[in-house]
Amino acid sequence: MDLNPQQVADRARQLQDRVVPQIDEARQNLVDMNNRVVSFIRANPGTCLLGAVAVGFLVGRIASRR
Amino acid sequence: MTNYPGASGNGNPSSREQGSDAGFGQRVDQIGSEAQQLWSDARGAVGDLGQTLDLRGRVERNPYGMIAAAIGVGYVLGGGLFTPLTARILKLGVRLAALPLVKDELLGMAETAFQGYQTGRSVMGSPAREGSASADASAAGTPRPPSY
Repeated sequence: MDLNPQQVADRARQLQDRVVPQIDEARQNLVDMNNRVVSFIRANPGTCLLGAVAVGFLVGRIASRR
Repeated sequence: MTNYPGASGNGNPSSREQGSDAGFGQRVDQIGSEAQQLWSDARGAVGDLGQTLDLRGRVERNPYGMIAAAIGVGYVLGGGLFTPLTARILKLGVRLAALPLVKDELLGMAETAFQGYQTGRSVMGSPAREGSASADASAAGTPRPPSY
């Protein structure tokens, strides 16, 4: 299959046009999720800290049993 | 002082019974007031501790760090400190911390080798110094084939 440079460039541009918006959307989703998580932690610090301690406790318990 | 219903006796009280009942009531009263004092002291201590640690402010400033610290506290409390998992995590942390240093070192070595290779090639290309090319190349860091 022969491709001249123009065709390669066109394909690369098509690929870029297809992929770049998806990457931007994924990045935006990650930023939104991060903001939501941070605001939840700030709104409920006690719950989050106690939950984190409980999770750490369970992990430590499982690790010490092995 | 609070009067307790049992303190008046059973309808035919002697003076001695009255005195012991009054003493008992006084003691209960004292224990109650001491318990109240203890409770208020404990609440004050917890409040002071909360103000000193400033957990809310710390969570406000660095939420993920505080969550990680809480997980670490729970991990230690759960008895996971002296376990193989901790050793693994520590090893991984050391490796990750050493990664930039190793990367810089490798990049420097690669750069030096490439420069030596370039120098060797340029020297080999010039006909006037054909004889001393291998010596220059080895001085620049390029490996030289063994001479038999």
